[in-house]
Amino acid sequence: MVGIRQSTAFHTDRDASGRELSAAEREKLLKPYLPSASNKQPTAGQDARRRFQRRPRVRPAIRRFLHWTLFTIIHTLFSIYIRLRKVYHAIIDRIMAVLYYHHRTPELIKRDVKSLSKVPSHLSVILDLPPEGGKKDALETLVNDACEVAAWSACAGVPMLSIYERTGILKATIPHLHRSIERTLTAYYGVNNPTKPTVSLRAPHIPSYSPPHSPPPTTTTTNNLNDPPTRPHLTILLISASDGRQTLVDLTRTLASMAQANKLIPADISADLIDAEITESVMGEPDLLLVFGDRVVLNGYPPWQVRLTEIYGVQDHVGGVEYAVFLRGLYRFARAEMRFGR
Amino acid sequence: MATSRNASLRRWLLSLPPLEYALQQIRELLIGSLKCGPIPKHIAFVMDGNRRYAREHKLETVEGHHLGFEALARILEVCYKSGVEVVTIYAFSIENFKRSKYEVDGLMDMAKTKLVQMSQHGELFDRYGASVRILGDLSLVREDVIAEVNRAVEMTAHNQQAVLNVCFPYTSREEITRSIRETVKEYSVPADRAQAVGWRAFSESHIQRSLRSSRRLSNISEESRRSHPDLQPLTGEKEKAQAHPNPADLPSEDYSSADSTTEISSQEDLDANTTTTTTTTTAPSSSSQTSYSSPSPDFKPTTTPSKSTSKSTSKSTSTTQKPSHLPDPESLTTAHLTRNTYTSPAPPLDLLVRTSGVYRLSDFMLWQCHETTELRFLDCLWPNFDLWRFLPVLVEWQWRRRREGVGGLGEGKGGKVV
Repeated sequence: MVGIRQSTAFHTDRDASGRELSAAEREKLLKPYLPSASNKQPTAGQDARRRFQRRPRVRPAIRRFLHWTLFTIIHTLFSIYIRLRKVYHAIIDRIMAVLYYHHRTPELIKRDVKSLSKVPSHLSVILDLPPEGGKKDALETLVNDACEVAAWSACAGVPMLSIYERTGILKATIPHLHRSIERTLTAYYGVNNPTKPTVSLRAPHIPSYSPPHSPPPTTTTTNNLNDPPTRPHLTILLISASDGRQTLVDLTRTLASMAQANKLIPADISADLIDAEITESVMGEPDLLLVFGDRVVLNGYPPWQVRLTEIYGVQDHVGGVEYAVFLRGLYRFARAEMRFGR
Repeated sequence: MATSRNASLRRWLLSLPPLEYALQQIRELLIGSLKCGPIPKHIAFVMDGNRRYAREHKLETVEGHHLGFEALARILEVCYKSGVEVVTIYAFSIENFKRSKYEVDGLMDMAKTKLVQMSQHGELFDRYGASVRILGDLSLVREDVIAEVNRAVEMTAHNQQAVLNVCFPYTSREEITRSIRETVKEYSVPADRAQAVGWRAFSESHIQRSLRSSRRLSNISEESRRSHPDLQPLTGEKEKAQAHPNPADLPSEDYSSADSTTEISSQEDLDANTTTTTTTTTAPSSSSQTSYSSPSPDFKPTTTPSKSTSKSTSKSTSTTQKPSHLPDPESLTTAHLTRNTYTSPAPPLDLLVRTSGVYRLSDFMLWQCHETTELRFLDCLWPNFDLWRFLPVLVEWQWRRRREGVGGLGEGKGGKVV
């Protein structure tokens, strides 16, 4: 980082008297700020030459000690700071969670999102398999989270929800998950509410799952003649790490074998072709991606699709899947200000 | 009025030599002490907010970009002094060509002047040991800019310590597409296998020959061997070899295959018009291997053949070579695709910083950053971004790394090119 005089000189490319700088002058300006010519060979030679002088050995040692002390101080201060920040954020999160709670009432959720100019037409969430507890408990927690998110999305009027979970354990329990989601929606809407959304659940390469006892969306129009169009539909897509890089690798394999059989020239491969294939086999681009962790890490989320996705995560959030975070994500997406209270 | 006087007072104070010196020492000290902890090996920046900064300060847009470049220089200094190996910056997106022609031209002119300045100050790069690499589809850029790009890249190519990746006309989807295309190209040329077989000390035909002779010798014990399950495939293959329609050319198969490979390489030379030495008639297999190793992945980008030539080469390979010589597509892994990305020899991305309060990746480093990279979205505009704003990000990253206890492991992991 250079001083102010130098930086203005660089910016205008002129020195203080307004003369244009030559290349050599520019270099001269920068000389004091450069790291010492620290090529290994010359320093080694110098060391050998003045091995018996004390200064070059003592000074680096002092400097190293100074650096190390400063490093420790910085990190001590920083860990205090970050703990304070975490407490602060936790308090904010609590307040938000108290102010915005859904009470399992779709009307409240609808009122929360009513003021938003837009709602994502494809919402995506990253859920983590909780590391503690047995496998059964962890799966149960995960399913609960997924159900809650599905219910909120359905209430908020999101037509498409994709749930990313790295290990793909959810894909193995699709019928169970569907039953749980139905139960949650019933808890939200009541047993025979005509506006209760229908849900279909699917995963890439696994056909869409809608069990026989739940009426598929096409037949509801004939059943309920009073309000056929008001019954919304939510499509839930389960994705895992294998739908990310691995899918692209699979696509490359297919393309490679096609090229080997002379069915395709490598020059034919274009971004449009790949996009069409990936959209077909996995999913399109989500509009909003919610991360419920304490920092934003994609953790293997499909790379091709996150191109223009708005990524939202709450700093230092530790509470896991919470309605307040969901709502704040929607507010961020609509670029709306969130005011305290409703 | 008061603010402008304050600002000028601050400027005057900061330009006092002792204070300037002290500040400089403090910065050096901070950077030096940062080096005591783990340092991200690869950082990417999206330099967003130059235009908004210019608008807010009532400057020309291009002027905003200039200020952004200065901010970049400041950050690069911090990065390289603290020991970051690779810095990748998003300078220009392919999508940016859709902006006004005036601005695009301004950006191109700026890129050119900065590149010219860079080539004037090659020594500075040497001092940091940094080499410049330009990532992106250069075919979209004006020719005079390309010339400067090549000059700057060549001039710094010998530096090994650090890398500055400038994503010039870049989008990540284009990168992934290109990577897939290159991988497919690699797999539709039988180079890998031919090379691998050629370098082994044993020749297949020789083994077949000795097998046949041994079979002739132990013809009597045929029954016992057939009952043995382990040798079953061997005998089957041997029979196939015997049932070869043209047994006369079997002993000299290694020579014939060498001839065919040289044929292909020479044809490629003619087609792609490269300057690789044509060693066609000097038959020994070693020379064929040297000429064969030239169209290996390293050389691909320069000799990207047009449609017709690639077609002709692939046809010629399919006619002269048996299809079994092609590598198996099932052996393809993510490592192949990673190797063909623009950033390929760089360590995995540790940290991605995006300024100006935009919370999306905008087609940048999609392949690289979707695993364990920490994404940081900051609200400040890029021209305001400096050591004091960068330091908290870096320290927080260090703090997490140290808490996760990956500090020691991180070095071993970071060295691995993924």
